[in-house]
Amino acid sequence: MSTPDADGSAEEYAGATGGEEVTRSGNSFAGDVWVNFKRWNVKAVRNPFVLVVSLAQPIIFLVLFTQVFGNVAGGAVEGATGGDISYETYLVPAIAIQVALAAAVTSGIGLVNDIENGMFEKVLVTPMNRTAVFLGKTAAEVFRIAIQIGIILGLGVLLGAEIATGLPGVIGIMGIGVLFSLWFVAFSNSLAILTRDQESTIIGANLLQFPLLFLSSAFLPLATLPGWIQTFARLNPVTYGVDATRSLMLDENVMTVIEVSWFDGTLNGVVPGVAVLAGIGLSFGAIAVYLLSRASSSDVK
Amino acid sequence: MSQQGSRTTADPSVDGDGVNRASERDSTERAAIDVDGLELTYSDGTTAVQGVDLTVPRGEFFGFLGPNGAGKTTTIKVFATLLSPTSGDVQVNGFDARSETRKIRETIGYMAQETSIDPELTAEENIRFACEAYGVPSGERAERVSELLSLVDLADVADKQAEEFSGGMKKRLDAATALAHRPPLVFLDEPTTGLDPKARNRLWEYFLRINDLGTTIFLTTQYLEEADQLCDRLAVILDGNIVADGSPDDLKREVGGEVLAIELERGDGVRERATTIAREFDAFADATVSETEDGISVTSEVARQYGTDLLVALRDAGLTVTGFNIRAPTLDDVFLAITGDEIDTAEMPDGDRGASQ
Ligand SMILES: Nc1ncnc2c1ncn2[C@@H]1O[C@H](COP(=O)(O)OP(=O)(O)OP(=O)(O)O)[C@@H](O)[C@H]1O
Ligand SMILES: [Mg+2]
Repeated sequence: MSTPDADGSAEEYAGATGGEEVTRSGNSFAGDVWVNFKRWNVKAVRNPFVLVVSLAQPIIFLVLFTQVFGNVAGGAVEGATGGDISYETYLVPAIAIQVALAAAVTSGIGLVNDIENGMFEKVLVTPMNRTAVFLGKTAAEVFRIAIQIGIILGLGVLLGAEIATGLPGVIGIMGIGVLFSLWFVAFSNSLAILTRDQESTIIGANLLQFPLLFLSSAFLPLATLPGWIQTFARLNPVTYGVDATRSLMLDENVMTVIEVSWFDGTLNGVVPGVAVLAGIGLSFGAIAVYLLSRASSSDVK
Repeated sequence: MSQQGSRTTADPSVDGDGVNRASERDSTERAAIDVDGLELTYSDGTTAVQGVDLTVPRGEFFGFLGPNGAGKTTTIKVFATLLSPTSGDVQVNGFDARSETRKIRETIGYMAQETSIDPELTAEENIRFACEAYGVPSGERAERVSELLSLVDLADVADKQAEEFSGGMKKRLDAATALAHRPPLVFLDEPTTGLDPKARNRLWEYFLRINDLGTTIFLTTQYLEEADQLCDRLAVILDGNIVADGSPDDLKREVGGEVLAIELERGDGVRERATTIAREFDAFADATVSETEDGISVTSEVARQYGTDLLVALRDAGLTVTGFNIRAPTLDDVFLAITGDEIDTAEMPDGDRGASQ
């Protein structure tokens, strides 16, 4: 052959399999998840601004709502829940869900940044499993959300809220917040892959944030709201997240949109919410993983 | 290093049919890249690559040249599984670019034309991420990272976030990350654009070294000198078609003859007149005549023989020759001869012919 050089040197890199196979490099699935989990955590720490900003709005809501609406809303809340519950206690679970929502918006923004600085393509040419890439990134964000919810709960207690279920309740609320965030994380990442554009992703995800929050049981009991809002709230994942966390907060079943009596008391409010959120999270997650797995550099014919 | 590469896989010295076929199959299996009829059309209808046939044997240092927008990056992205071919058969390291994308990804390195690094991570973390993403064993990582940091001369700023780097430093970091896992085949899309001469030389040395160790390198560049020095074999792509391929020397030989460069005193229409005179010069009927920065250049088999006659003719026409020399063609001449018409229509709408053969 006319390429003695190529033939001679081919042996050297051809790896252990005897010259026919080339050396292949790659990780296990768990290894891929871990690599991405680490990268996104480092980025979060490097970027405390994002951490603060996604907490700022929920904190402002917490303080303003309790101070401005506290007296008025307190009555409505008492009427609906039947106990003497402060508006702080009523509101804190909703703010926890808001934190999850706000943090999920930044998830898509992170992906758009990756697309813009070339890291997305760089990751696409690695042998890393696409689902693992998404899981690792999501795990890092969810980890951050759990911490942020912890901060909000602490702040809420300082403002006078009471967590009737104590420490297990705190962990439960974090868990539900994380579970709730999944569908919106998946949604904002899907938006990022589809639009590949920072503005569209921020606007798309942010625009949805407020209607979702207000057209739910987050700030006032559903019974006090107009009929069309009640109808929308039934379809709104925020309602399920808020009602489930609130049930834990108050240690009673305050789930307003599904009635079950599988258990005694509180769990009847928590379990159906968790089930619904898991279903929604899985569906949206599947869409995001699908989009990511067929993502390429550009669309071709 | 010198390879008189030919695209055909059959060995002309082998006569027997059976032997011939066996060697063909063998070399296809052993090829780093084997492409048959590649076509790529973007979803907006742009056909960026059409009918590309190419075989790059393992261990070759292959250069892929072409003017802006010719389809180099598009072709590389197909090989790197970032784009799925519209039609044609593409094998990279023996794996199919449609159905075995993951296996291809496990066996290649890719450095994109656009610098791709994570600005929030430090230089060291960027390289470490690349090592981890490709499963470089944890025991080897520290050594690999520090070796690459010093290769690209970033050891001093290893702990600085990449967003603080200059453009060239980012590019160097990007190069390091593409090589982190020592892949048997590396795609380098204009890896040295924007680098200072020192950094460029270091990378050249490194590319040659890993090539000597057996790494196949697929390089695009606009620096033809770089291609000349590094590559065993070149292909030139133009409007999505491969229009020439061979070793740098082959290509230069194809241009034919020698280049007579003539410098002229500046003045209105001087170069145009000189070009006309050279074209009408009988001995240079088959020559390529083109305008240069400060005069004209004539490429011809008989440039040496009749060069002085042309100089006399120019003087007789009242043009002042301020200098001239005769040299062997460079890759620049090759490139201009191949893409000359292109450049004319794109950059000189006034209808100057320039290089045309
Ligand atoms: N994402 C895309 N969508 C549509 N057309 C594209 C896309 N990317 C590139 N093209 C077109 O495909 C053609 C080839 O582009 P390509 O980037 O492959 O050129 P290139 O040879 O790498 O050029 P350069 O030297 O400038 O890097 C061009 O006409 C370009 O406009
Ligand atoms: Mg390009």
